[in-house]
Amino acid sequence: MAVVKLQGVSRSFPLGNKPIIALDKLDLTLEKGEFVVLKGVSGSGKSTLLNLIGAIDDPSEGEVFIHGQRLSSLSDKQKSQLRSQYIGFIFQAFNLIPVLTALENVQYPLSLQKVANGEAKDRATEALTQVGLADFINRRPNQLSGGQMQRVAIARALVTKPDIILADEPTANLDSETSKQLMDLLGSLNRKTGVTFLFATHHDFVLSRASRILELKDGHIIKDERLKNLNLVDQIPPGEKVG
Amino acid sequence: MLRLKLALLNVLRNGRRSFITLLAIQFGVISLILMGGFFASMYEGMREGVIRSQLGHIQIYQEGFNQFGSQQPEEYLIDGEVLQKITKLVEELEQVELVTPRLNFTGLLTDGSRSLAVVVEGINPEKEALLSSAVKLTAGEDLFEEDTEGALIGDGLFKSLNLSVGASLTLMATTADGSFDARDVTVIGAISTGTREVDNRFMRMNLQHAQELMYTEGVTRLVVLLKDTKHTEEVMALLSETFKKQGLALELRSWSDLADYYHEVVNLFDGIFSIVQIIVLAIVLLGIVNTMVMAVMERTQEIGTIRAIGGTRGEVIGLFISEAFILGLIGSVLGVIFAIFLAQGITAAGIMMPTPPGSSQTYPIRIFTEADLLWKNGLYGLLIAVISSIYPAVKASRMLITQALRFA
Ligand SMILES: Nc1ncnc2c1ncn2[C@@H]1O[C@H](COP(=O)(O)OP(=O)(O)O)[C@@H](O)[C@H]1O
Ligand SMILES: [Mg+2]
Repeated sequence: MAVVKLQGVSRSFPLGNKPIIALDKLDLTLEKGEFVVLKGVSGSGKSTLLNLIGAIDDPSEGEVFIHGQRLSSLSDKQKSQLRSQYIGFIFQAFNLIPVLTALENVQYPLSLQKVANGEAKDRATEALTQVGLADFINRRPNQLSGGQMQRVAIARALVTKPDIILADEPTANLDSETSKQLMDLLGSLNRKTGVTFLFATHHDFVLSRASRILELKDGHIIKDERLKNLNLVDQIPPGEKVG
Repeated sequence: MLRLKLALLNVLRNGRRSFITLLAIQFGVISLILMGGFFASMYEGMREGVIRSQLGHIQIYQEGFNQFGSQQPEEYLIDGEVLQKITKLVEELEQVELVTPRLNFTGLLTDGSRSLAVVVEGINPEKEALLSSAVKLTAGEDLFEEDTEGALIGDGLFKSLNLSVGASLTLMATTADGSFDARDVTVIGAISTGTREVDNRFMRMNLQHAQELMYTEGVTRLVVLLKDTKHTEEVMALLSETFKKQGLALELRSWSDLADYYHEVVNLFDGIFSIVQIIVLAIVLLGIVNTMVMAVMERTQEIGTIRAIGGTRGEVIGLFISEAFILGLIGSVLGVIFAIFLAQGITAAGIMMPTPPGSSQTYPIRIFTEADLLWKNGLYGLLIAVISSIYPAVKASRMLITQALRFA
């Protein structure tokens, strides 16, 4: 079963008498385990697409299916629960909760799922270990570097074992070295956990990690390319994977 | 657990704002408790004053007195034999402090040149002195049984007749059998009951002297003083049962049945207190709703994040209401504690009140801190905090997630 399916999806924003069409009749299917990089210049519709797939925005036309469920048939509460179970978000600005420690930030989505405190702690610790932050679990966001904050955010997205993780330009606020390390981390997590990644960016170095490249322009998919020889993660020695 | 911790951390995160909110809640709780406590002390003062100057706790009459007695008081007297029996029955009860007879009638008091209508009360001076502890002697001396012709004159009456201690007056009245009689009385002193209207036309004399004037062995009523006002209902029920069993045709009235003025004042002040309560709570509400709105506004992106990672609208509402609840709880508890200290301080300071309307005595400010008053107003403080957060919380929960996330 496809993780994500879009059928004839359009999204327009009213602006005076001539609405902006951010996405125009898209059809798209994402499969389990894919590492999809979404390219496109600024304003091409990348964020709009991620928001629709993330069930935090509604299409003007067409249908979005996540985990086989038609989003238009769900209530706000059901959509919240669907996001909680099947979707992980990674934001450009990290969006950690400032008063909580790294561990608590990662625990938080589990507490939304009413997972017991002890179990949530264990799972959050494990997720933070996976992203190489085992030694930083009790730090607050303001005691962490940008790269570390984004890794906390990755752990937060991973900890609920979602179908898909949506990352909207997560490296835009990071320097290029940190960005590269982060990409390697995502690539390795993709291979280890089988979670689908949809990764919006306009950085080219990301492309080498992709198993599939989508390109948007003016709300249309102008390129959909599947790569056979996958990503560089395989070629990086194990010790450095978690950079 | 974590969600409650998040709420608590957020309260601590903006210390200054939380502090202001706490102050507002405390202000409300403290002012309501102080005002309520002051009113409660005033009610108690009035209640005990009226009980210990005029009404006692319970009055016992011949059956029919309250319905017909005002037309023909002489027909509804308790006669001497029954009086002995009742006195004994009542005195046996452990809640009873004392029981004393009174004979009431209206008469005409004259100094030879002027005559004034007066309400006369024949009393047992020893017992009445214990019961009427709120009756103050304003001139002369107390009445004793030996002063067979002695009389205590209401303060206002004493002044309006321009009397002095030792003055001799004549009291005229219609007797129990309908004829007319007069007796000489000697002014021994002047008294104040605390109620000006009463003091203007009231006098007391020895029961025996009054009975001689009225040609009767009977009394109008027996007044019962209890050890504590709170036993009133219980003793009323006990007595009414006992009297029924003994086949005594009597009727009972409690101080509360008789204290119309007290109830009017209490109702009036309770009404005023309710209005003030609403005003104070509204001011507190307006004072903190703004900070609550700000608390929501500045966390717009956080709200978007919580929603995106799976938080429901209810989750967001719950978060902000929990924060308000924590603030309200702290503010109310502190408010109650400070209010208790302030109330004790003010009471201890013994500040004198201006004389209340209709009263002829003044007294120091006292503020009661009854448990009922404390928890109710503490609860109001808490509720106001929660209510003030409902609108911002609901608004926060309805923000568009994509827009909230863009908010930096
Ligand atoms: N909330 C909105 N209101 C109006 N126009 C919007 C809104 N969101 C996006 N758009 C418009 O839709 C188009 C696509 O935007 P977006 O998806 O953010 O592009 P990208 O993420 O690729 O830069 C742009 O023209 C943008 O101005
Ligand atoms: Mg974008």
